[in-house]
Amino acid sequence: MLTISGLFAGYGSGDVLRGVNLTVQDGSITCVVGPNGAGKSTLLKVVSGLLRPRVGSVTFRGAEIGGATPRKILECGIVQVMQSRNLFPELTVRENVELGGFLLRDASAVRARIATVTEQFPIVGERAGERAGQLSGGQQRMVEFARALMLDPALVVLDEPSMGLEPRAAAMMYDSIRQMRDNGRTILLVEQNVRVGLGLADHGVVMETGRVRLEGTGAEILANPQMRALYLGGTIEEGEVPAGDRGR
Amino acid sequence: MLVLQAIIDGILVGGFYALMAGGLTLVFGVMEIVNFAQGIMVVLGAYLSYALFSHLSIDPFLSLVITMPGMFLIGVAVYWSMIKPIKQDRVIMSLLVMFAVGTIAEGILDLVFTSNLVQISTPYVNNSFTIGSLIFPDIYVYAFLMSVVLLAGVYYLLYRTRFGRSLRASMQNPTAARLVGINTDWVSAYTLGIGVAMAAAGGMVFGLTNSFDAASSYDLISRLLAIVIFGGFGSLSGALIASVLMLVIQDVVAVVWSPTWGQTTFYVILILILLVRPQGLLGRKAVRAQ
Ligand SMILES: Nc1ncnc2c1ncn2[C@@H]1O[C@H](COP(=O)(O)OP(=O)(O)O)[C@@H](O)[C@H]1O
Ligand SMILES: [Mg+2]
Repeated sequence: MLTISGLFAGYGSGDVLRGVNLTVQDGSITCVVGPNGAGKSTLLKVVSGLLRPRVGSVTFRGAEIGGATPRKILECGIVQVMQSRNLFPELTVRENVELGGFLLRDASAVRARIATVTEQFPIVGERAGERAGQLSGGQQRMVEFARALMLDPALVVLDEPSMGLEPRAAAMMYDSIRQMRDNGRTILLVEQNVRVGLGLADHGVVMETGRVRLEGTGAEILANPQMRALYLGGTIEEGEVPAGDRGR
Repeated sequence: MLVLQAIIDGILVGGFYALMAGGLTLVFGVMEIVNFAQGIMVVLGAYLSYALFSHLSIDPFLSLVITMPGMFLIGVAVYWSMIKPIKQDRVIMSLLVMFAVGTIAEGILDLVFTSNLVQISTPYVNNSFTIGSLIFPDIYVYAFLMSVVLLAGVYYLLYRTRFGRSLRASMQNPTAARLVGINTDWVSAYTLGIGVAMAAAGGMVFGLTNSFDAASSYDLISRLLAIVIFGGFGSLSGALIASVLMLVIQDVVAVVWSPTWGQTTFYVILILILLVRPQGLLGRKAVRAQ
C-alpha cells in the first residue's frame, strides 16, 4: 500500500534519512522502533508531506506522493498524528475535531463524521465545549485520534502515541489502534515501548542512524539478539513494561 | 471637565490606532513577523487617500474602497515575493525584509510626494458638535465609527468564517494546521494583506487629523509597537484595549501635567509593562508549538 524506496531526507545540511526502504502492507500494523535520533519522526514527516524527500520515492497505492503538500497527501487518504502538540489548545474539543474535517466542504458531511468518531471516542461528546489544552494527556490523545479519523483515512501514521501517557491511558490508546486496524485501516506506528509496539504489530522495522537495520514479524524482531545489542542501556527500559519483564 | 474631554478624545483617537495596531499584531500572531513596515504602510495609506482627494476630489472615507483592496494586494504580494522565499532563519530574516520594505517605501514616497508636510483637508475637517460643554470633532467621530465597523468586520472574519478558523488554527499551531489540510502560506499571505489594509484605513484617518510626511512613519511605528507590546504580541483584543488605554492616559496626562509629558507616557507605560508583565495585557506566556 505504501512503498518507500531509497529515501534520503533531512534538515539544513546533511541527511537524517540515508536510503530508507520500507513497505507497509494493506490492513496491517507496521511498527517502527529504534533509538532516539534514528530518524523515525523524520521518516513520518516525509510520509505526511511536512518534509520533502531529497532522493528516493514514496508511493501510495501506486501513485507518487513524495514531495506533495500535506493537503494533497490527506486527500490521498493518509493522516498523521505527531509525537506531541497536535491540538489547537485554545480551540474547543469540538472545534479541534471539526478541523479534522477541514477538507470536507459540506457541513452536513462534517456533522456525520463527528457523530461517527464520537461513537468511537465518547470524550469528544463529553468534553465538546472545553478548550482542548485543558484536557489530560490521555484525553488529548483520544481527541487527536478522533480528529485523525474525520476524513476516514486509509493509512493512519502515528508517532509515539504512548508518549507521556499513564499506563491506563496507554492501554486505552493501544485498544483504539487495534480497533482502527480491525475497521480496515492500515497503521504505520512509531513506538518507544519496543515490547508493546512490536507485540501489537504485524510487521516490525528497526531503524538506526537513518537506515532500516532489521525487518520481520514483531516476534522475530523481539527474539533477535542484535536487538539487545542495539538497545543495551537504551530506550527499551522506557515505557510501561512491568518490572519483572524488562529486557536486560 | 477637561479630564472628561481628554478621556473622550483618547477613546476616539484610540479607535483608529486600534486598526493600525490590530494589523500589526495579527501579522505577528500568524507569522511571528514584526512588521516594521506597518508605520510606512500607514503613511502610504494616508498619501493614497490624500492623492485621491486632492486630484480626483474623492472623499477620504470613500477612498478606502480603493485604497484598502489595493493595499491588501500589496501585502499579499510582499508575502509571496519576499517572505515566502526565505529558506532559513525565517523570523530574523523576515524582520530584516520588512525593515527593507519600509525603507524602500519611504524613499519612494519621499521622491513622489517630497518631504513637505501635507494634510488631507476636507471641507468638514474643522466641523464639530458639542454635547454640554464637551466638544466632538466630526472627523474623530466618523473615524471612530469607521474603526468600530472595520474591527467588527475583522472579528466576524476571525470567528465566523472558514478562513478565520484556519487563521486561528495557524496562529496556535502551524504544523498541526498543515496536517489538517490548511494551506498556511495562503493564510499568511491573506493575513499580511489584511494587516496592511488595516494600515490603509488607519492611515486615511491619520492623514485627516495630522500633517505628515514619509518620516512620520518612525513615530508611528514606535507607538504601534508600544501598543502591541502593551496588549500582548499576537492578541487582537489586547491591541484594542491597549490602544484606547494608551491614548486616554496620554491625553489625560497632557491636560493634568503637560503635553510634553503626554507624549512620553507611551514609553513610560511601555517600560513599566516590560518590567511588570512582559507578556502584555492579554499575551500568552508560553511560546506556541513550533
Ligand atoms: N526540525 C529539525 N531541524 C533540524 N534537525 C532536526 C529536526 N528534527 C529532527 N532533527 C534531527 O534529526 C535527527 C533525527 O530526528 P528524529 O527523526 O526526530 O528522530 P527519532 O524520531 O527517531 O527520535 C536527530 O539528530 C535530530 O536532531
Ligand atoms: Mg521521534
